Order: sequence, then structure tokens, then C-alpha cells
Amino acid sequence: MPIDKKQIIEKEMAVVDGIELGPDWNRMFEQRVIFDYNTDTLDKVRDLEGAESIGACYQCGQCIPVCPVDAVGEYGPMRVFSDLLRGKDLFESDELWKCTTCMNCLRVCPKEVDMIKIMPAVREEAVMEGNVPDELQEAFENTFEYGNPLGESQRKRADWITETNSEVPLMKDKKEADLLWFVECYPAYHGRGKETSRDMATILNTLKADFGVLGTEEKCSCDSQRLAGEVGLFEEFAEQNIKTFSKYKFKQMLVTDPHALNALRKEYPKHGGEYDVIHYTTYLAPLMDKLNMTNKLDYKVTFHDPCYLGRHNGEYEAPRKILDAIPGVELVEMGRCKEQSYCCGGGGGGMWLDGFMSDHVNERLSENRVKEAVETGADLLVVCCPYEISRFEDAVKSTGNEGKLAVKDIAELIVEAMG
Amino acid sequence: MANENILIIGGGPTGLEAARGIADLGYKAILVEKREILGGTPEASGYAALTPDMRDAGEAMQEMRDAVENNPNVEIMLNTEVTGSTGSTGDFKVSANTGGKDITIEAGAVIIATGFTHFDPGRETQKYGYYEHDDVVTLVDAEKLLKSGNFVRPSTGEKPKRVAFIQCVGSRDRQIGNEYCSKVCCGISSKQAIEIREMLPDCKVFIFYIDMRMYGYWENEIYWPAQEKHKVNYIKGMATEIIKKGDTLIVKGEDTTMRRPMEVPMDMVILAVGMEPSAGTIAVADIFGVHKNKYKFIETIGGALNTVSTNVEGVMAAGACTGPSDLEDCISAAGAAAMKSIAAVRRVAVPA
Repeated sequence: MPIDKKQIIEKEMAVVDGIELGPDWNRMFEQRVIFDYNTDTLDKVRDLEGAESIGACYQCGQCIPVCPVDAVGEYGPMRVFSDLLRGKDLFESDELWKCTTCMNCLRVCPKEVDMIKIMPAVREEAVMEGNVPDELQEAFENTFEYGNPLGESQRKRADWITETNSEVPLMKDKKEADLLWFVECYPAYHGRGKETSRDMATILNTLKADFGVLGTEEKCSCDSQRLAGEVGLFEEFAEQNIKTFSKYKFKQMLVTDPHALNALRKEYPKHGGEYDVIHYTTYLAPLMDKLNMTNKLDYKVTFHDPCYLGRHNGEYEAPRKILDAIPGVELVEMGRCKEQSYCCGGGGGGMWLDGFMSDHVNERLSENRVKEAVETGADLLVVCCPYEISRFEDAVKSTGNEGKLAVKDIAELIVEAMG
Repeated sequence: MANENILIIGGGPTGLEAARGIADLGYKAILVEKREILGGTPEASGYAALTPDMRDAGEAMQEMRDAVENNPNVEIMLNTEVTGSTGSTGDFKVSANTGGKDITIEAGAVIIATGFTHFDPGRETQKYGYYEHDDVVTLVDAEKLLKSGNFVRPSTGEKPKRVAFIQCVGSRDRQIGNEYCSKVCCGISSKQAIEIREMLPDCKVFIFYIDMRMYGYWENEIYWPAQEKHKVNYIKGMATEIIKKGDTLIVKGEDTTMRRPMEVPMDMVILAVGMEPSAGTIAVADIFGVHKNKYKFIETIGGALNTVSTNVEGVMAAGACTGPSDLEDCISAAGAAAMKSIAAVRRVAVPA
């Protein structure tokens, strides 16, 4: 174990028996801390509903090499368990906030230690105690106050519609539609997200789809807030959204955001909202021949599987079918793809913890991923999750790859090919 | 006329099962036991529950005894020690002392089932202080405490709040001379850890280990429930010494996962002592001229394909006298020995 710098005691000058000794010669080391293996916190964690499986870890360490945070720092479920076993107070530790709930560990865990359930359960306790990183707390407060983590006005949630030439009908006017399109916060407010939403609207209109959006009635699905520990907030928003959904008739719910897909598909049923929820890539893949893509593109692309579309919800093929159908697009896979896909760092609250994480990692997860994308020789990194477009575009800049690699949503590519 | 009776030396689980098997096949078994009661080490050492199925040991041994006692095909001789042997397959003349009287037992074949003894932790090179500290006990001592239903610190008679198991005591050690793994201790420690947690829910239980060796179903039947259901804490890294500090035992060692030293206070430490050949095994092997391996366990000669035959024709060895064995191994070997011993006498009695 390396010696912590804080354990080194040096004086600029020490005088011993009249002889002056500089720092190299008077250096002393503090005694190493001996833990008494107090398992109180471990017991508290494994007694939490949902967090029981942490106690099953037999420390094989298979989770560490697949943990996206460990690739840029030091982390992994085994380490979290190891520390707990040795008395670390996870509730007050920074380790609690590093996990992006990407689920790569659970994929390989022989004991099914489920960080996807453990993290929200433990974080919920920390949230109740007020032990939350400031920037995450701000995202929670924004969501609570404005209905979205960006802190934008609820009244502006439908503004992107007015900025498009396509027709985007509102459910409150239509009352009934085949598709209720749950747009979600980033596609509704974020600059690049809005562009994707407008392209999505163009595609839906080209397909003559019978769809509607909730506009200003829509609220954040809150899945990432839930995974970051704000379970109460999630439940309240789920109830409000479910109430809004109940006003309208629709056959299917279309989502842009894989995080919303996850919430609506897996969590909302627990609160009485059961819907047939579909991600836009899954929806579009079988309809590609109905889009008249006359414009042959000339792109070598690589594709980033979103954690919450792939590992969490099992969809790997639809985006690839879409890419295959777009004329002039050549796909080169990154080494870490499909089930093994790397994480952009945005999940499980990571979207709102960039400042916090920068103290714990040697580069951002998005930067690590962008470098991998550049290595493939692709000129385009294609994404289909609204968290990614801004994260990767920032990372392209910060890694000095501007001009080498562009980031586009798969919907943008489709519209480009439609000419 | 060849003698078709089978002499079984040792009345533990292996000997009892061999006798039952021979009787079931219609042959006569002569079962000699040094102690005054059948049941072997599980009985003599007062085992509480069997590993892995947690069955009451006393009840299980009684069931084994019931199968041979009053069985017309089994002759039981208690308080009997074998002292010499002449002859060969179909015609062994084995001298013995029974209750102070010298006798000769005639048999066609012999099964040695003289078992093992627990390692004496006083011989451990690490300073665990078994003979110095009352609260440092062995698996055997702990088994007795568990059987009594009153698991307490020997020093105070109070319920312990923190208990540690130290694995591999007397096993996997070149200096001690026992290079082998004793095979059962990981399972037994984990089983006892579960029993302690059930008896004393407020007591924290730790197991310090080099490798946990819970092969086959022991993994899911003992190891996983111990950790997942009973919250037993497994820490990779061995204790090197135990120091007494006031009322508490300080377990000192290296936490190999964290790569840092540990000094952990405990109320009680249980040493997971391994298996060694019993004195009876060594003596009986010499009487029959059966080869022993470097650890003085009896050597069987057939490798993986024959686990009971020895270098002496007509003499089989089964169970823990041949090396570290769990109960399942013993029972399986007993069946194989019963079959092979009958085959041996039949070959003489009914030549092909």
C-alpha cells in the first residue's frame, strides 16, 4: 500500500545536536492506520432494502476491469465491499457517488452483486442525511422546482416545437394518438438535444406517424435522480406523469432517452403505470425502407451503445440496423461495444457530478470513450442517448480532437440522408 | 477352505458403513473398535452437526450404529486392539487384545478404517497461543461448545461479541510437514460460523483465510449461505500471531486484499485445525506391512481408479486413514472397500 502524502512528516529544517537536518533527513512517517474491522456500516448497508446483495461479494474482482470508473481512476464494486468490510462509512464517503450504474459489473458478477439496486438504496440514506455533493443537490433542487434537472422553466418545455418546421401535435389537443412521444428533459431543453428532437419530428412526419407530445405537461422521468438517491422525488414525479398519461389514449409510448425508457418500462409499473414503451431506434429500425433516403452520405462512423439502452434494456441491434440502412455509412465498431460498451459517465447521477468526479479520475469517462472512438479512424461518433451528445462533444474538444471526430445523434444522420 | 469373513478395523463412519455393506451383501463382518463405543471421531470428539447437511451428528452416528448392532451378519468387538497379523487373502490370522485378553481373529480379507486425529495446534509455527490463552480454541473445542448449546468464552463464561476463525492451522505447511490441504476445515469453519451466528445473532464472525476451498456443492450449500444469509465476514489474509491485551485477543496479520497490516480485536479465536493420521492408523499400517506416504497416512495403490487397495493383497484401507476426507468421501470409500474385500475373498474361494 503506497504511503499517503498526508502521512509524511517533514520539517523544513530540524536541528539535532546542533546539526541542521533538511527535509530529506528529518522525514518521518505516521504510523499506519489499523482498522478493527467494524462491520456496523456493512451491516447497515446490507440491511437496506435493495442493498442486500453487497454482502454476497466474495471479492473475486471480476467487476474491477469492466468498471468504467476504474478505467480512469480506482473504483469498482469489489473495492466498495472491501472497504465496507473494513469499516469504511460508505454513507459519508466519496465512493458512494462514483458509480454511474452502467451495469457492466452486474453483467460479469458471479454472485449477482447488484449495484443498480445497491447504489440508489445507500444513496437514498445519504440524501436523507444531507450528504450529497453540491452539484448533484443542485440538479435535485432544479428538478424539484422546475420539473427538469437543467433548471429551465416548465413553460419553456415545448419551445423546441415552435422552432421547428415540422408539425408536432400536442396530446392535450389530440387526446388520442398511436404514439405518445415522451421527449424528456435534455431533448426538450438542451441546444443539441433540441436539434435531435426536431429531426425526430421530421422523421415521424415523413413516416406519417400518428403521434403526440405532452409539451409543457411533461415532467422529468427522474430515473437518473432515482439512481442518484432521490427516490422520493422520483416517486412524486412518476405519480404526476402517470396522472398526465392517464388523461390520454395511446397505443405505444415512444421515448428519445434510454434513461426514460428504463424508468417507464421498469419502474413506472411499480407505481401503477404500465405502458408499451419503445426507444426510437427500436421503433425506427423496421421502418427504414419507408424513409426515402436519397442522399448518399460519406461517413465512416462508430457507434456508442448507451448503457441504459444496451445492458439495461437489451437493445443492441436496432441502432446498427438503422446505420446499415443509411446509404453511404460504414460502421466500424469500437473494441468496447454492445454488452461490453463503455459508459459515457452520465448515468446514475454522473450527468450532474462532473466537477466532483474530476477530483477522482485522471480523465473523464467521456474523454476515455472519445479517444477510443478516434482510434477506430471514424470521423463520426453516432449516439442515441441525449446525455451523450453534449458529453462527447465536450470531450472531443477537451481531448483536442476537434475537426477529427464529430458527434451526431442517429436521428440527425437519418434526416441528413433524407436530403 | 478359504475364510470369507471380512475383518474391519475401526468403528467410525467408514468402518460402520463397510460393515453394513458387507452384511447387506450376505457376508460376515467382524468389526473391531479400540474404544468402548462405536461412532469414531464424530462420537468421541462430540461433533454437534455434520458438514455440509447440518444433520445432528449424534443422531446420524446412532443411525449408523443401529444398522450394525443386532445385525446377525456383523460381529462387534469393542475395547479391542489389533496387535499382529499373519497369513494372506483367504487366510488372515489377526491377533488382538480385547478387554485385556489376547485372541486370534480369522478373516479372509481386512479393511483398515482407523481414521485420523486433529492437528495439535501447539505444534503450529505461528504463535497462536492455544495453550496460553483460554479463548483460543480449536474447531474441535468449538464443536463441543456448540453441542452444549452454550457458546461462551472459556475465560469468562460470557457470550463472545467477536469471533474469528483462522484457517489452515497445521495444514499446507512445509515446516510442520503437512503440505496437504485438510479439505474439510473451510467447510467446517463456515458451518460453525453459521451455527454461532444463529445462536448469537449479535456476535460478529470473521474467517481469516488463504484460499477458501469449498469445492462442489459445499460452495452453494455452506460458503454462500454463510456469507449471504448469515453475514459471516471473510477476510483474505492470515493471522500470524495472537496477543492478549487485557480481556481481548489481538489477532495480528496481513490483510492481503488491502495490502496492509491488521490488528483485530476478538473475544474468541477458533483455530481450524487440520487432519493427521491417528496413532491407530500408523500402528495398524505397520502391523499389516501396509505402505504409508510421507505424511504417514496409508497409501492406496490404484491412483484415481482404485482408492482402497493397498500394497498388501487382501488388505484395503478406507476413509480418513488414507488422507484428509470428508464424511462423503468416507462413506463412498467404505462401499468400495466392502466390494473389493468381498471380491478378494471370492477370488480365493471361487477361483476363475
